[in-house]
Amino acid sequence: MTTSPAPSPAPGATATPAAARAPRGAGLRTARGRHKYQTVRAYLVDLIENELREGDAVPSERALTERFGISRMTVRQALEALVADGVLQREQGRGTFVAPRRIDFEMRLTTFAEDARRRGMIPGTRVLDAATVPAVPRVAEELALKEGDPVHRLERLRTADGEPMSLEVGWIPAHLVPGLLDDGVPESIYGALRSAGLAPTWGEDTFLAAEATDAEAALLELRGSRAVLRTRRRTYADVGAVMYSQACYRGDRYSVVVPLREPRPVIVPRPREQDEPADTAGRTSP
Amino acid sequence: MTVAQPRADAILDALGGVANVDEIDPCTTRLRSIVKDPSLVDPALLRAAGAFGVMISGRVVQVVVGPHADTVATDLADLM
Repeated sequence: MTTSPAPSPAPGATATPAAARAPRGAGLRTARGRHKYQTVRAYLVDLIENELREGDAVPSERALTERFGISRMTVRQALEALVADGVLQREQGRGTFVAPRRIDFEMRLTTFAEDARRRGMIPGTRVLDAATVPAVPRVAEELALKEGDPVHRLERLRTADGEPMSLEVGWIPAHLVPGLLDDGVPESIYGALRSAGLAPTWGEDTFLAAEATDAEAALLELRGSRAVLRTRRRTYADVGAVMYSQACYRGDRYSVVVPLREPRPVIVPRPREQDEPADTAGRTSP
Repeated sequence: MTVAQPRADAILDALGGVANVDEIDPCTTRLRSIVKDPSLVDPALLRAAGAFGVMISGRVVQVVVGPHADTVATDLADLM
């Protein structure tokens, strides 16, 4: 963490449209250029993480150029890379500012729309595909179905305040809600399940760090980092599994909060006499 | 139709009985058990006992029991 005071942004030192179009990586072909770029980038990242708040201005290009004794082009590239990563935001004629933080994400059995509204954002959905199809082996396994059993498959792009946030594919056993797609795709699948008396009561999420595929990056409008958070969710109601879904969240906008609690004590068998057969509850069946 | 709550006695049976169990660690929705001989574990029986999923990795057997994990764990402690 830096101990030197942050240079205040100089007025008028904003990006020109031409600068915004400068290709990333240009001018960094030498080791020296790479090193200077890394120095200013590391400085900015530290400043953003530890000293600035959302909406604060970062030092101007001129101030950074003077501070590090490097070319304006290198400074500009470092700033642009952070803009592309979603860490900084540029406002035409005003300067460069710290972008909204990642969305803290305590996994709960809520829908994307409920989550977004709770954060004061307006949720949106673009249905990319919706059809009733035979379950592939993985989906059949997750939903305790037989391979080929009919499932509703839904592919949706979820947005918050108009910005793409996640891509989600979900599968619902068709026999549980045969008419799910009859009147178009319901706005909320959990809502439709609740209406059908299949209220989701619990589930399990699995997380994987990953890089977006080209198709995902295009749909999520990722411009810089391709880091995404993949989730696999099994949703259960009293009757059993009601939905399996795979989602891909933008890595630059999400962080996951996992509530922790003290573990329950581990259960170990009580000591027994050596010759005593296992007790009645412990019969083995082979 | 409603899936019955997972039954502790049947789960213990499907794990190969108390004699086959080294320990059972109750998590929020799973029972993570360490067994002596994984070949004595019967995943189909575990499913029939009300498990929503079974993951076996070496001697570690994870049984997904859902929100009833606490109750099932209490019953298991009595049986073991």
